[in-house]
Amino acid sequence: MNRLLFAAVAATLAFGAAAQQANPRDAVPDKMPNDIPYGPPISLARAQQAITAAVAESQKRGWKLNIAVYDSGANLVAFARMDGAQLGSVQIAEHKARAAVKYRRETKAFESGVQEGNNHYLLTLDDVIASRGGIPIVENGQMIGAVGCSGGTGSQDEVVCKAGADALMKR
Amino acid sequence: MKQRPMLTLEDCKQISAAAEAEAKKNSWNVCIAILDDGGHLLHLARMDGATPANARIAVEKGRTAAETRRSTANWQERVAKRIELLRMPEVTPVQGGVPIVFDGTCVGAVGVSGVQSHEDEQIAAAGIKALG
Repeated sequence: MNRLLFAAVAATLAFGAAAQQANPRDAVPDKMPNDIPYGPPISLARAQQAITAAVAESQKRGWKLNIAVYDSGANLVAFARMDGAQLGSVQIAEHKARAAVKYRRETKAFESGVQEGNNHYLLTLDDVIASRGGIPIVENGQMIGAVGCSGGTGSQDEVVCKAGADALMKR
Repeated sequence: MKQRPMLTLEDCKQISAAAEAEAKKNSWNVCIAILDDGGHLLHLARMDGATPANARIAVEKGRTAAETRRSTANWQERVAKRIELLRMPEVTPVQGGVPIVFDGTCVGAVGVSGVQSHEDEQIAAAGIKALG
């Protein structure tokens, strides 16, 4: 009985302490975040243009990566595995591109959110991948698809991914 | 030590371009997938107008052909005679998946989806032919 009482008091105290610190997630912004409209699906020709640029960047550095392009409906359009790229990264490259489309942001946002922001709840959201290397392709203010790269370190993946995305848009 | 041939990205680009040309010649919009001998994706191109389902089906036809070392047309024929083969795990027994055989070794497969099954196979075969 005493133990129960102690637990109840401890819980109340803990709750009181938490209530005193403002939870940043309680803030209600006026505007929608990442409010980029879903545009028409990227064409195969443009998707292959992005892959060619990404492969060139990767080759220049002697890296071996998997590169995937998804359209604005989060469906696979084009894929390339460079010679010797690791098998596990086939799905990861696809996942990064898909997550970038579904959440209209770079997958780096999830990585930072978990690592620096301590927002572990991000990992409970559907089809999230908290690793950089997935970048949306925006054209005329609309998102037409995304590029995803995997096979190296996150930073290597991101460099190659940017080369692919930059081939299609000026940033 | 035994050596085995492997498809390169250049090989895949060649196969995919030839298959796409065959499809374009007929005004067909399809998805072309190339997989290695372990059934892992190497290259994929979904032409404008081909559906999201085509991408999934092309990969699965290719996976079946690559992993079983036989065409999905062959699976289709065998399933027609022996319905119990439908219980084979991870097998898509629909024409359009063709193994790539080099020097007597299966190095992977091409899977195509988007038009009629025999036309899908025609496109896959045209792609493999380009490999020489």
